[in-house]
Amino acid sequence: MNEQTTVAVVPAMMALTGISKNYDGVAALTGVDLTIRSGEVHALLGENGAGKSTLMGVASGAVVPDAGSITIGDQTYDRLTPAQAGELRIAIVHQHPALMPDMTVGENIRVAVPAEVLRRDGDTETTMRAMLADVGCAAHLDDRVESLGIAQKHLLELAKALVVEPSLLILDEPTAPLGPDSVDLLFDRVRAAAAAGAAVVYITHRLAEVRALADRVTVLRDGTVRGGAATADISDDELLALIVGRKLESTFPAKLSDAEAGEPVLAVDGLSGRGFHDVSFTARRGEIIGISGIVGNGQSALLRALAGLEPFTGTVQVGGSAYGPKRLRHRCGYLPADRHREGLMMSLSVRENAALSALRLFTRGPLLDARAEAEAVAGQLRSLAVKTPSQQTMISALSGGNQQKVVLARALLSAPAILVADEPTQGVDVGARSEIYRILREIAAEGVPVVVASSDAKELEGLCDRVVVMSRGAVVQTVEGDAITEQALIHAAVRATGHRREEVAARPGSTPLRRFLLGDYAPVVILALVMLGLGAYVYSTNDRYLSAFNITSVMTSCAALGFIALGQTIALLVGGIDLSVGPLAGFMVVVGSFFLNDGKSGPVMLLGLLLMLLTGAGTGAVNGTLIRYARFTPVAATLATYIALQGLSFLLRDSPGGNIGTAVTGVVTEQVGPVPLSFVLLVVVALALEVALRRTRAGMRLRAVGSNEESARRVAVKVTGTVIGAYICCSVLVFLGSLVLLAQLGIGDPAQGVGYTLSSITAVILGGTSLLGGRGTFIGTLLGAGLIVQVLNATVFLELSQTWQYFFQGALVVVAAVAYSRVRGADPIAKG
Amino acid sequence: MNTHRTVSRGLITVLVALVALAVLGWATARSSMSHGALLGMLPFAAVLAIAALGQTLVVMQGGIDLSIAGTISLTVVIITHEAYGNDAKVLPAAALALAAAIAAGLLNGLLVGRLGLNAIVATLGTNALLYAAVLGVSGGTPRQTTDLMARVAGGTTLGVPNAVYFAVVATAVTTVLVKKTVTGRRFEAVGASGLAAWAAGLKVDRFRGGAYVGAGLLYWLAGFLLAGIVNKPTAYEGDSYVLASVAAVVLGGTSLLGGRGSLVASALAGLFLTQLQQYVLALGETYAVQTLVQAAALAIGVALYTINWRRLRSPQRTRALPASA
Repeated sequence: MNEQTTVAVVPAMMALTGISKNYDGVAALTGVDLTIRSGEVHALLGENGAGKSTLMGVASGAVVPDAGSITIGDQTYDRLTPAQAGELRIAIVHQHPALMPDMTVGENIRVAVPAEVLRRDGDTETTMRAMLADVGCAAHLDDRVESLGIAQKHLLELAKALVVEPSLLILDEPTAPLGPDSVDLLFDRVRAAAAAGAAVVYITHRLAEVRALADRVTVLRDGTVRGGAATADISDDELLALIVGRKLESTFPAKLSDAEAGEPVLAVDGLSGRGFHDVSFTARRGEIIGISGIVGNGQSALLRALAGLEPFTGTVQVGGSAYGPKRLRHRCGYLPADRHREGLMMSLSVRENAALSALRLFTRGPLLDARAEAEAVAGQLRSLAVKTPSQQTMISALSGGNQQKVVLARALLSAPAILVADEPTQGVDVGARSEIYRILREIAAEGVPVVVASSDAKELEGLCDRVVVMSRGAVVQTVEGDAITEQALIHAAVRATGHRREEVAARPGSTPLRRFLLGDYAPVVILALVMLGLGAYVYSTNDRYLSAFNITSVMTSCAALGFIALGQTIALLVGGIDLSVGPLAGFMVVVGSFFLNDGKSGPVMLLGLLLMLLTGAGTGAVNGTLIRYARFTPVAATLATYIALQGLSFLLRDSPGGNIGTAVTGVVTEQVGPVPLSFVLLVVVALALEVALRRTRAGMRLRAVGSNEESARRVAVKVTGTVIGAYICCSVLVFLGSLVLLAQLGIGDPAQGVGYTLSSITAVILGGTSLLGGRGTFIGTLLGAGLIVQVLNATVFLELSQTWQYFFQGALVVVAAVAYSRVRGADPIAKG
Repeated sequence: MNTHRTVSRGLITVLVALVALAVLGWATARSSMSHGALLGMLPFAAVLAIAALGQTLVVMQGGIDLSIAGTISLTVVIITHEAYGNDAKVLPAAALALAAAIAAGLLNGLLVGRLGLNAIVATLGTNALLYAAVLGVSGGTPRQTTDLMARVAGGTTLGVPNAVYFAVVATAVTTVLVKKTVTGRRFEAVGASGLAAWAAGLKVDRFRGGAYVGAGLLYWLAGFLLAGIVNKPTAYEGDSYVLASVAAVVLGGTSLLGGRGSLVASALAGLFLTQLQQYVLALGETYAVQTLVQAAALAIGVALYTINWRRLRSPQRTRALPASA
């Protein structure tokens, strides 16, 4: 890169001036100035928590600064919105990809990238395929993102950023999950983007990447700019000094000499499991074993097996005794790569996290001995040099390095038989890294076998006495002693496969049947078959079942429930739930009962209808506002409106009254042959909503928010507006349902309607919509509502008691829910 | 985000609310604080408090239990129908009801803990099955309670309703189990993060499922008391406890997202909600107003925990600064 070091006067693409940002009184950024130039790759270096990501959040509109300004061209802004950033073609590749797991690759692209961009070369599909090929992403457009590996997700994220031909491209530690092949490709693309005139900001921890890529480098520390220079004008040592504020003497502790190594303490023989096979190695007392290889070649899977989290075949012997998965899970200290998800209880205190695995040691009789616990934890925290205000501090308030040490403290307090660490220094600042290396070495010295997997071959070179190199799930080479060098490790991994594989697709083959079963429409077909079967059976016992009268009555009941359930579907799709639909339907009927009577004039009736509609829209707006602005959970918010609406119903009428006019009832119950018009309308509305959900941007935005709110926000979906809009749409559909209900009841009864809350949820569940949001169909809900009404009706024809009505409803819900979750392979542990 | 544990925040909120309500009652509706009124209110407060304890256990695991209605109703009808007019049959009937409550808890626990179903779905299904049993046992008709039940659950000792003693003991036992034992601390850890707890070697499904069994036991106790407190309980006595118990949990400061919970606060929130109803009644207001006041109390209670009031008081500096600063 040396030929580019001439400092030409390049125009500034963006100037950040005096940017400050506080989170709850803690300064993340203080008066930061940064100028980003077009055509340059600008590296942003700094420890974890130095403010790099926050600063780039400001630059890309994701973070609102407390002070300072952003100048782009001759425009100056207080802040950017994600939408503005999109218009300015500011693209960011997040450290955690902004993707919606429940949506397909194609839908993820379409919801994030403006339609004009995708139509630039004619066909949208062709453009999308080309942009994936451009970054070497092997995913198919119709794959659900959930099914992709982490590297593929990152490449998809990169493709989304590059396709808009960004004026400013921000990459936040993009190489962390990628193998060397993808890294090379990424570097090429970054250089190409800069050559095409884009300003590039590259956030990283790795000095080597700065050297390989950057024209200019700025170092942040504690939220302020520590210094910056053209890359060529500053040495690694100087950079390191800026980052940590002091020169590091030696990063790694001394390795074990051959004489010190003791008897074997760990023997892994012929270990096979999902993602790895036939792995064997041994560790002698005092040794640290490294697991190396290209990311996604079974290293993490092997470690999870050693931690007892995945089943395996083969044997693991620790200190001469055999350990199965169950015993390992209890006796293994495990440092997961994803600390926040798997390592810590983020809402609990430091002490509670640290003591968890050793609680048995702190008992007095049946109860816990708080003092013994506090003393043991204090001792452990001290010996690991954990920096925390107190043991009662919430773990989330600690830095990444200290959090990792608390995970270590927990493992050590439980006196583990073996310690397994997956990427132990990821997201850990430089200072804490060397301390973690030292601790791992000390643990090994005490005779506990230590196994460390890392994507950083340099780290393994410095730390390990023996390194197992894996490729495609198998061991390709075991490197020992002085032979452990970064080059040797990478060579071993690369040579083995001939062509490198970034990621082994460990998922079962995708057959048409499997795709269908996993798809959103499987429940629809199943429900239809159940309904046909039930109908045929009841008809065979009683031929009045298909009489015009019965068909009309079933369809009318279905219409009321159906509309309300369609509304409920919207609330669930956006990741919420609306408990207030039942009382709302009842309240609307009560409101209508004051206006829609015989003898009232047309305008009065219209006014009544309008008031009912406004009641609905208002309720939806209140629900949405409570959830978004007052941060109520959907259950709490709609529970409050549920109770309030019930109160309002009784406030307007303390007993049934206000007969509904025959004119109104006549219109609502109008029918074509035996089929009520209201039912026809229901089917039409359901179909229209279904198409909108799949084909329109609004539908995709709805699912995007339900699937992953944070990702949706980062791809410039207006989350708050979408959620509030969803609850309003839900209530408007309830309005349609209440019209049918009004005609059915014929009177304003304040006690009616409440039951629709639970039956609407039942209908939606039967239809296969996920209560976790992001996935579902309106057609399924329609059939679900139909099945509920059909079952209730069938019990009458089969002369079964009310007991059976309840029984069938309960059994249906349980069977359907279990069946759907089995097919989708829900992970019980991951939920909730 | 708070950097320190907020264990007592829910408790403080509820205590302040209770004191405020008592003062307000004393000042504006003296009859709501009369001896007779309190004696009438306390048994129902005790039942709601116990029900709320059960709901809290489930909510701490990130769940919600709609089958509370079916479990309480089934307990009530089994005791009143099986032991109708015969004190000697009360004990076997109560034991039968207990078995049913545990079975319902186990079913919920299996569906949620082992099979990973959403809590709303699973407990909705279980609730329907429980009501099938309620109608099977009772045919939907109410029965008079027995004398023994009326004495045990509805009587008073030392001037205090017996139900209150039951509630105090239930609260104390549950709190000690959750906060002061190894199992309880693990239970809280699983609620805070199932994945991390599993990686740490805990049997997550047992804790998640166990929450429903523990809750079932408490619902049974609530139903048992109700069967004696109410002279002629209906087949649907449990229905009113779904929303009320969730409201009490939320008011007590336990997040519906799971994690740490305050059992004492939930129980006291049950007392608060019951007395609030009594107060509004004493003011001479209708059922409608009572309901609206409850909704308002719930909304205000939740808002206390969820809204960042400090931020509202000191608006961000951004707005005040000119763009060209």
